[in-house]
Amino acid sequence: MNENSWDENRAMDLLNQFEAILESDPLIDEVGFIHPSQFVTLSNECGESGDSSEDGAFGPKNTKFWNRDHKLGISTEVLLPLCKAAKSAFMDALKQYKNLCSFSDNNHEDENIMFGSLSCLSFESEVMKHGRAVLLLSCDFGTAWNSRKLVVSKKQQLSMLMDELLLSALVLSYSPKSEQAWSHRRWVIKMIAGKHSNLQDIMAKESELVEKIAERSKMNYRAWNHRCWLVSYMTREQMLHELKKSRDWAGLHVADNSCFHYRRRLILGISENSCCKQEGENSSYDVENYQIVKEELDLNEVLIKRYIGREALWLHRRFLSLCMIRHLTTMHDISCHPEQKTSMDNEINIFLDNESCLLNYCSTIQDTEFEDFKAQAMYSAVYFLWLITQIPQFREIDLQVKLRTENLKTILHEACPERSFLWGFPDLNGSF
Amino acid sequence: MGELAVDKHVHYILSVEKRKDSFESVVMDHLRMNGAYWGLTTLDLLGKLDIVNADEVISWIMKCQHESGGFAGNIGHDPHILYTLSAVQVLAVSNKLDVLDTDKVAAYITGLQNEDGSFSGDMWGEVDTSCKNLDGGFGCTPGGESHAGQIFCCVGALAITGSLHHVDKDLLGWWLCERQVKSGGLNGRPEKLPDVCYSWWVLSSLIMIDRVHWIDKEKLVKFILDCQDVKNGGISDRPDDAVDVFHTYFGVAGLSLLEYPGLKAIDPAYALPVDVINRIFFSR
Repeated sequence: MNENSWDENRAMDLLNQFEAILESDPLIDEVGFIHPSQFVTLSNECGESGDSSEDGAFGPKNTKFWNRDHKLGISTEVLLPLCKAAKSAFMDALKQYKNLCSFSDNNHEDENIMFGSLSCLSFESEVMKHGRAVLLLSCDFGTAWNSRKLVVSKKQQLSMLMDELLLSALVLSYSPKSEQAWSHRRWVIKMIAGKHSNLQDIMAKESELVEKIAERSKMNYRAWNHRCWLVSYMTREQMLHELKKSRDWAGLHVADNSCFHYRRRLILGISENSCCKQEGENSSYDVENYQIVKEELDLNEVLIKRYIGREALWLHRRFLSLCMIRHLTTMHDISCHPEQKTSMDNEINIFLDNESCLLNYCSTIQDTEFEDFKAQAMYSAVYFLWLITQIPQFREIDLQVKLRTENLKTILHEACPERSFLWGFPDLNGSF
Repeated sequence: MGELAVDKHVHYILSVEKRKDSFESVVMDHLRMNGAYWGLTTLDLLGKLDIVNADEVISWIMKCQHESGGFAGNIGHDPHILYTLSAVQVLAVSNKLDVLDTDKVAAYITGLQNEDGSFSGDMWGEVDTSCKNLDGGFGCTPGGESHAGQIFCCVGALAITGSLHHVDKDLLGWWLCERQVKSGGLNGRPEKLPDVCYSWWVLSSLIMIDRVHWIDKEKLVKFILDCQDVKNGGISDRPDDAVDVFHTYFGVAGLSLLEYPGLKAIDPAYALPVDVINRIFFSR
């Protein structure tokens, strides 16, 4: 059927059908666009007979929409006319609604007769109804998301806010990168946070939602960004809990830089949430913070040795080393007893030794059948170089470092000659 | 090495403008203003801006202006700072900035600034703050992962306001140059595939902080040229993928930064041809 032959009436019919389905099944949790030929397959798979009325399926011979078990399929054939009809209906309703709103805003209370406000209500529901249809087809249409914010902020009802979470979750189920959908969720959560007390619950569910989406949509920047945003609403206990809970997932997704960035965000949050407490509590927080970084370093080392040549793991280590050194340096500076200071110096040396061993372990290129060993050597060498340039204490540790860095030069030349300019790094040359 | 198929790309851009009746174009029509910027700036870089009817474009742009002074992505849509930027850029390229009531537009933008200095995108308040991370990069929100696109926005903003001294150029340059992968292309963050659009964001950032010698420029040129569809015109995110105006613009802009012959020079901070910027500044 030629797309051009869809006249306005038929397109409106389509829209009405679509909206009727959405209305009748508020629990739809999945939407997909399918080729017309697949409708037959779907029907057969479900063992549908010619009978139309039972079990919620929208007609046996319907080749435009398929709705069963809270899933909704839309034929690719009707996408264009449906989308155009939805957009046009939405824009009309929005225009009317905005006109009425400004009319009633500008007039006195007693002039706002029943007629006026009923009209407003009906256009309001049109805006929401057509808006939902449009957004399921064209999820980044910002004006439609905005209109929902407008309506919902006037009503101030928790149930409407929760509905917005449902709609955006549905959109994210098939468009996990839709920034508009993520942004809408943040707006809704801020509205809820302002008024209602079940924020903790909502936070926990948001985190779970992101993890679920992240499983299907790897390295989804926007999803993880959203999860990082939640951290600013968390208590220290919640952050600790999140860190622990997501540990195993991280170990199974070692190439997911976004996941590790989230862990960095949590670790930062935990250490930032340790200040401004009473005197006595400070030291126990310090110990806990140290342990967290130490554990993460240990986990990181295990993963590095197990999954050879993963950039995300090595970048994560840069951050962790920086944290560890800062922690050890702080402990060194605040300690009053010379024995403690020496002990801290030792700790730093021990740490550097360990990193050196790791470098030696990783820089042997066992074979070149795949890229992994070479990549591992390169990452370990660049990591060590980074460590030396970023951490002032290391440059002060004389002879040992000199010996190591000669070795480093060799590794770099072998593993990644194109990065040899890094050797010209000013800090390095200055020291030696 | 291949060559830049200039005529094909011009043809492609003009065809996109006409193709309004597909599902894909309907679904994207809320960002038509951005599309206008990508298409027209590319044409200007290729030296073919005169092909377009400037008056038609200008008249459409002005219809997208909202009573608040901001511009929307299309007629009747809500205004947003990003579309306002694209509108101003298109008018600059077309040398028609005089049609603007600049005070009104400026008022819209300043109205979006928050107390902490950040800007909201629109009245609904989603803030695109940028925060320095420990790896030297910048993320979208406080604590957000470093991302090359965001880095460009921050470095560009700092460049324009004469504040680049706040950037640790060695640290940032290091992270940026690590975006170059074996094929010569650039990715936007660790472990990701290269994408032509990062040829712009990473490259212009490196240029602004004076570290572009840390990547292999020749390999990058080759990568961009490999992303062309030499038969039908247009450039895609990576070789053999489908083309679009967005990547066509970034590919050509990247090549311009790499001083590919025959292209107009582009300013890395303003993302507009250098002669357009000069025209604006010297006419003051």
